[in-house]
Amino acid sequence: MKMLRSGRARAEIRGGARARGLDPLSLAGLACLLLLVLLALGSLVDAAGDPDAIVGPRLRPPGPGWWLGTDNLGRSVLPRVMEGVGTTLLLSSAAVLVTAALSAGFGVLAGYRGGYLNELIMRVVEVLYSFPAIVLAVLVAAVAGPGQLAALAGIVLVTIPLMTRLVRAAAVAVAGRDYVTAAVISGARLPRVLGRHVLPNVAGTIAVQGTYALSVGISVEGGLSFLGFGVQPPQASLGVLIRQGGTYMMAAPWLIIGPGAVLVLAILSINVFGDGLRDRFEPRETRSLV
Amino acid sequence: MRYRLACGAAAVLTATSACAGGTAAAPGTPGGAGADATAPPGYLALADGKLPAGGALTFAVHIDSGAATGLDPQLADVATSWQLMSLVYETLVTVGPDFAPKPALAESWETPDPKTYLFHLRKGVAFSNGREMTADDVVGSLRRLLAAKSVWRGQLGPVEKVVKVDAGTVKVTLARPYTPFLAALANVPAAVLPMKEIEAGSLDPAKQMLGTGPFKVKDHRQDVSWSFVRNEHYWDKGKPAADSLSVTIAPEEAARVAAVQNGSAALASLGNVDSAAMLAGATDVKVATQATTDFYYLMLNSRNPKFADPRVRQAVNMALDRKQIAEVALGGQGRPTGVTPAGLPGACDPATLPSATGGGAAGAKELLAQAGAANLSFTLSIYATEPAPAVAQVIQQNLQQAGVTVKIEQMDEASWAGKVYGKAPATFDSALSWFAGYADPGMVTTWWNPDVAGFNQGFMRADKDLNTLIARAGETPAGPERDKALAEVCAKADTDSQMVPLVTRPATIAYRADAVSPSLYATEGYGNLLRLVADARVKRG
Repeated sequence: MKMLRSGRARAEIRGGARARGLDPLSLAGLACLLLLVLLALGSLVDAAGDPDAIVGPRLRPPGPGWWLGTDNLGRSVLPRVMEGVGTTLLLSSAAVLVTAALSAGFGVLAGYRGGYLNELIMRVVEVLYSFPAIVLAVLVAAVAGPGQLAALAGIVLVTIPLMTRLVRAAAVAVAGRDYVTAAVISGARLPRVLGRHVLPNVAGTIAVQGTYALSVGISVEGGLSFLGFGVQPPQASLGVLIRQGGTYMMAAPWLIIGPGAVLVLAILSINVFGDGLRDRFEPRETRSLV
Repeated sequence: MRYRLACGAAAVLTATSACAGGTAAAPGTPGGAGADATAPPGYLALADGKLPAGGALTFAVHIDSGAATGLDPQLADVATSWQLMSLVYETLVTVGPDFAPKPALAESWETPDPKTYLFHLRKGVAFSNGREMTADDVVGSLRRLLAAKSVWRGQLGPVEKVVKVDAGTVKVTLARPYTPFLAALANVPAAVLPMKEIEAGSLDPAKQMLGTGPFKVKDHRQDVSWSFVRNEHYWDKGKPAADSLSVTIAPEEAARVAAVQNGSAALASLGNVDSAAMLAGATDVKVATQATTDFYYLMLNSRNPKFADPRVRQAVNMALDRKQIAEVALGGQGRPTGVTPAGLPGACDPATLPSATGGGAAGAKELLAQAGAANLSFTLSIYATEPAPAVAQVIQQNLQQAGVTVKIEQMDEASWAGKVYGKAPATFDSALSWFAGYADPGMVTTWWNPDVAGFNQGFMRADKDLNTLIARAGETPAGPERDKALAEVCAKADTDSQMVPLVTRPATIAYRADAVSPSLYATEGYGNLLRLVADARVKRG
């Protein structure tokens, strides 16, 4: 009996370890993401050529010299897609970092302190949440003026409500745990309680939600640039390229196929990777936390 | 003042373009890209007069008339406003397909001497309220325009007196000869207004349109739509052929393209230079490109320390590859131009200008080094409507060859206009826009005199020599002497380089061949795609 118990325990431990690892699909997502990052890094050293240089005739289909064709200014599409991946990933990642930092602060404070502070933060977040994402982003861009800063601010405002709500929910659950109570009884001050005991235990939620925010950020950047509020010419972003490709979809379909495929791949791989992270950080038994 | 060029510049963005790889006809020459094979010389299409009159026309355009100036045609300073107002208002003279003046509200005119014009008014002309147009309306309108803070005032030249000779004749006396006078009278700001009603206070022309034109306004929702209906009192019997004209404001090019494809608009102005190629497979859709005298130009703000030194401006001008701008940004449908619009009779040859013979990028580099601006870097402010971003990016590439770094700042049209024309002195470095080129090669040169133009005083300093040359070209009668005078203006403006002409601007219109039989000139000087819309026949059933 004891042996059986012990065998079961070992099996549970092994199963737990498997649950805490990344499944093959998530690893594939991560690999795709790394590939996109490599592409973006390649654009930094003009590995496929200068994305802004006019290299050939206008609107030529893929061929030697321009493997993904040329655009309406005779620029090779390949280096522009590479630059676009970099711009979009960088912009979205920076925005998600800002979102994560703000959401962690507000969410943990609201969840742990409760009361009026919780009410204030949550009502503001709910107001933001009530706006359709792209409308909110366009509003920000209209006020701040088009450009990367506006796109970044737009992504932050769009992604902050959901992450703050989830972090707050996780913080509410953690706040009642014994180790937090023990820390408070032992005289720990608020910053220490939050920084040492609450925040590390909601970090998984932030990481998981961060990946979703990243995919939302990419979509929002795409949407903003599509509407002309995003990055400025001649810099390429996936949104800019898709906007341009959409205009020429019938006459020059190669303009939209490349960036469109990359955008789908980026969002898909981030989502799949995010799923994997969720399985790792939030095993099924503990998902009730959020 | 309401910026955006009195000249149809920026705002007009009405359209640009034609089929990929197509070649627009030169302004002043018959035929244009997409011309109907059966159209006579000078026309892209001619309405089929055998079709019955009546029916409703629909037109999609990218921008409404300027709201800030209201509906007063004398204050309208952009070609999109002129285009819409031309449906309601008419002028004493108009222009034909060859840019020659032809009668409109004046049945004929005489010029007993170069300083005197006698206009014999057309009989039986009435405003859309039924009241007959009189010589007093004509005199009052011109006097009102001369007294108004209108940018078009500068185009009328040295008008000294406007008097009524008799019930059917009006005399205009100039202080000195002014060759472009008739061409200046042919634009909407010089329209004949119902002065009796305006003076009586029963009509505010800024809020209500009442003219002698083929249509009258039924409804207008700013930036949304216009609804025009036939003016039953129109003097040209049988016109307009259509009962009504609905204009939809659709800023997105894709929306206008879709409107023509799905038939919700019978006509649409298009801005993309590849529109014809993109609509090539669309059933019953035809795309025609008018060659225009309009041209894009680069503003280099001489009140900004970066461009205060003329050598720096000249270097930028020298580094520009106009041929590449025309080929790449405009898909081969524009052509290099000097300040006198390429293609108009008497226009200068841009290939002979100092900037074209100065050594290109290498010469520019040398000049910049001499001026102590070897690492010149500046911002180019543009509006987002195509093809402005394409033109800007080619300029950026051109200047990179000369070691100049250009940062492109793209914004919506209103913000752009505020930045460029809203402050004096202006704070921008450089900006891109376009001028309508009109029907006389000397007209647009007037805008190179900021004292006359007014709208560019915030970023342009008056050049006394250039102003003298412009005035001289205006006074010189058409002929070889005037061509020479205009060539001097061209060269001086090129050296001055505060406003740098680039390439001509084609204009594209798409229409449904199963819904409308339009008339279109092959060439246009005032940005008016609707110039012959009163002739258009609606196809029904």
